[in-house]
Amino acid sequence: MVMRNPLRKRLPRDLKTEFGKYLVIFLLLVLSIGFISGFLVAGESMIKAYDESFEKYNIEDGNFSSKKRLDDEQRNEIEALGIKLYDQFYFEQRLTTGSRLRIFKIRDEVNLVCLMQGALPVGENEIAVDRMFADNNHLTVGDTITVDGTGKVYTISGLVALSDYSTMFESNNDTMFDALTFGVAVVAKEAYDQYPVRGMSYNYAWKYDEKPVDAATEKVVSEELMKQMAKITKLERFVPGYINQAIHFTGDDLGSDRIMMIVLLYIIIIIIAFVFAITTSNTIAQEATVIGTLRASGYTKAELVRHYMAMPTIVTLAAAIVGNVLGYTWLKDVCVFMYYNSYSLPTYETVWSVSAFVQTTVIPLVITVIINYFLLNRALRLSPIRFLRKDLSRKKKKKAIPLSGKLPFFARFRLRVILQNVPNYLVLWIGILFADVLLLFGLGLPVLLNNYQDRIQDTMISDYQYLLNAPISATDENKKLESLVQAAMFMHEVETDNPDAEKFSAWTLKTLGDVAREESITLYGIEPGSQYVKDDLSDGKILISKLMADKYRIGAGDTFTMKEAYEDTTYTFTIDGVSEYEGSVAFFMSREKLNEIFDQEKDFFCGYFSNSPITDISEDYLSTVVDLNAMTKVTRQLQHSMGSMMDMVNVFAVIIFLILMYLLSKIIIEKNAQSISMTKILGYRGGEIRGLYLHSTSIMVVISLLVSIPLVKVVLMELFYVMMLEMISGWLPLTIPNWLYVEAFVMGLLSYALVALIEMRRIKKIPMDLALKNVE
Amino acid sequence: MFLELKQVKKAFGEGENRVEVLRGVDLSVGKGEFCVMLGPSGSGKSTLLNIIGGIDAADAGELIVGGENMSQMKEKALSNYRRKHLGFIFQMYNLIPNLTVRENIEVGAYLSDHPLDVDELLETLGLSDQAGKLPNQLSGGQQQRTAIGRAIVKNPDLLLCDEPTGALDYATSKEILHLIETINQKYGNTVIMVTHNEQIAGMADRVVTLRDGKVRKNIVNTTKITAEELEW
Repeated sequence: MVMRNPLRKRLPRDLKTEFGKYLVIFLLLVLSIGFISGFLVAGESMIKAYDESFEKYNIEDGNFSSKKRLDDEQRNEIEALGIKLYDQFYFEQRLTTGSRLRIFKIRDEVNLVCLMQGALPVGENEIAVDRMFADNNHLTVGDTITVDGTGKVYTISGLVALSDYSTMFESNNDTMFDALTFGVAVVAKEAYDQYPVRGMSYNYAWKYDEKPVDAATEKVVSEELMKQMAKITKLERFVPGYINQAIHFTGDDLGSDRIMMIVLLYIIIIIIAFVFAITTSNTIAQEATVIGTLRASGYTKAELVRHYMAMPTIVTLAAAIVGNVLGYTWLKDVCVFMYYNSYSLPTYETVWSVSAFVQTTVIPLVITVIINYFLLNRALRLSPIRFLRKDLSRKKKKKAIPLSGKLPFFARFRLRVILQNVPNYLVLWIGILFADVLLLFGLGLPVLLNNYQDRIQDTMISDYQYLLNAPISATDENKKLESLVQAAMFMHEVETDNPDAEKFSAWTLKTLGDVAREESITLYGIEPGSQYVKDDLSDGKILISKLMADKYRIGAGDTFTMKEAYEDTTYTFTIDGVSEYEGSVAFFMSREKLNEIFDQEKDFFCGYFSNSPITDISEDYLSTVVDLNAMTKVTRQLQHSMGSMMDMVNVFAVIIFLILMYLLSKIIIEKNAQSISMTKILGYRGGEIRGLYLHSTSIMVVISLLVSIPLVKVVLMELFYVMMLEMISGWLPLTIPNWLYVEAFVMGLLSYALVALIEMRRIKKIPMDLALKNVE
Repeated sequence: MFLELKQVKKAFGEGENRVEVLRGVDLSVGKGEFCVMLGPSGSGKSTLLNIIGGIDAADAGELIVGGENMSQMKEKALSNYRRKHLGFIFQMYNLIPNLTVRENIEVGAYLSDHPLDVDELLETLGLSDQAGKLPNQLSGGQQQRTAIGRAIVKNPDLLLCDEPTGALDYATSKEILHLIETINQKYGNTVIMVTHNEQIAGMADRVVTLRDGKVRKNIVNTTKITAEELEW
């Protein structure tokens, strides 16, 4: 007769009696697995939708703006260069709310519009706005928007995604996109035709007749294209597709946090596996004599290992299944929402992701099984007789650690409880450490960004920083004379009478992309005796900004190599010191030195620092005005994109606090249930018993929380460093104020206070006859 | 002989703390015999029982059960030996708290290729009415009967009992002894029972007395009485 192991009948009963324990572990696992799988599935689905959008919505190969509308002849000449042109004229409107809308005519050939909700606009008074812009400005279908100045009122007929604006870069030169105050919209022909010619941007999209095979070829082709076009019309802007951030930023960012999320999941799984193992070894200690008897009767070690592994495996498996279901449904939507919160992506279809399944389900299961198997195998290796004698200590003849008799009795008693539970407290500490890192991460990031925003004004070189922009036609090598005239005119046009204004020269080089992602670094050439940059730059000294030093972890004496964008020329600089300037990653040297290095005229300059606005230079010659608003764009966008995620991280951290503290103090109380029962019989009062058995855990929680702080600080800083290295170009100071550590400590304590209340009830419920029943 | 022990030695501890518990035990027990092992505490009887049961290893000497030499067996083989041939009963019942009486007995049945019929055994144990109860709902005697059921349901060749009545009152002890006697007669298992109660020797086929780690007496009981007739 083949019989199934009767021990398995214990499992549902175990589940019933230990329901609380299994429930919290289950929930934590479901949340972790669900969220991460939702994150991965959402990411992969979005990437697929994004990748397919190029073909589906016929996304442009590039676009340019011409100062004047192209006539038929110009158009034919340009198209003869091997491209086809499409009108993408737009009109920018400021709304009464202060936001800016870039309004296009409905497209029907390239950069097609994805309708997400409602209907496309018809007639003169309807508009379809970008879905994300609507979300961020609390607009929906049927609402009206009013144009500032003209008072024109539009009714929103629908919400759309423009395939060439998945990321809201207002200008391709912006350091970060702006999904909060800038958006795009489309109107019907009737409405569009009402716009005045003045203020119209003559933007054209192009598609190559023959698409270049790769980015390198595309670069060569597009540069040639630009030169040729510049001969035909006056270019105001030229953005070949491969460098268009509005199109490509989304693709680069989607899925870039993947590794971080997966590591997060594995850490949680490992902690839970250890919690399982600790609770199970506690059960083994409690059931020692039963195990001894079973082993004596002939049950093999393997059978018992399997038996004790069953619950952890079942719970993890169940959590993996539920987690995946949630991951593909609700939590996926949460994550999709996060993406939709930052990017204007078209509609998507959920894809089944094998890698997400392996990473969130298969690997966690394997980790749980391996850790539990390893620890259980070790715990059950003892001989049956040792189990029968309840002699489970690994060390032979474990002697009591001598404690000074001078210590009060309660202190000694508590110390004994602590010493008895060292492994439990160790796991608790590791858990606290991890939760602390998460919590401080969630609390710290917004503070970090806020701090940066608050301080940036003080750290800026000047309140206004103007970069002058020579028209492309002034740099045409083929029309030397014309260029020279243009250039001379330009130099004349850009002189100012503002006494605050101070000329600087600048050059932009690209990093090699070996440490962080490739980025542009501005090198400033500063006037001698500058009122804005006070560092000593005499004798050809080269300084780097403090942020540059922080980001690349370099300082005086180090060398740093950069290259000319799209060229092979590299420059290696030896750094003489670090400037206190915190606004951006930058190099400083004297203007003379910079002009010399980059082979410019001695009096070459390309912008002004000024503490007051410069009003006497035409706006046509200002390419980027670096003002406060522009500099905090990064942090504002990060706050918006990551804000909801940080709240989730905080909640998650507190849940981990609660669960670990709950499970481990539960184990400690249960382990001592019989002794607690005995102290009750002896006549100890509730407060005294809590003082003995609960306060030992309280003490360890406080110590763990305190001891964690310096370690968390180190880990956190490294975490922020790596994350920022991944996420942003430029840099911001990674400083966490000390009060945040206090806040995390208090939150840890509050979590424990809640757990302590539950444990007090548990102690209260231990019956006195427990000690009498189980005399062994 | 079914069970043979030759010069079995066992010591615990090292150096000054070294205690020689068994100093060369020779013993033979025939198949189906009811053997009672007497001796004061510390005489080594429990250690000897554990060695016979394969849950403790002798330092020296030979142990032969059913013609097989156990002395050289590795843990895996020993485990298999226990699984197929042995039943253990301890002073403490060591029942699994969240399994019912029937299920606790099934825990034993699972190990055997030819277990006894559980219902019939419950009847024999007088536990039919208690079959669905959990251990904490039972009296000490009922718990011990369950433990006995768990040990004998696989119909072991050898039933080892370590002070099975040690925690029970007089009347219940007699009930348990009667049960073991019945089982011995009904199923023909060899029984070795360790006890410090000399009166129990009356029901044995063979009485072995240990003192200071050696067999001091080994008597075949010719005036065997039933468990019911025992008095102490």
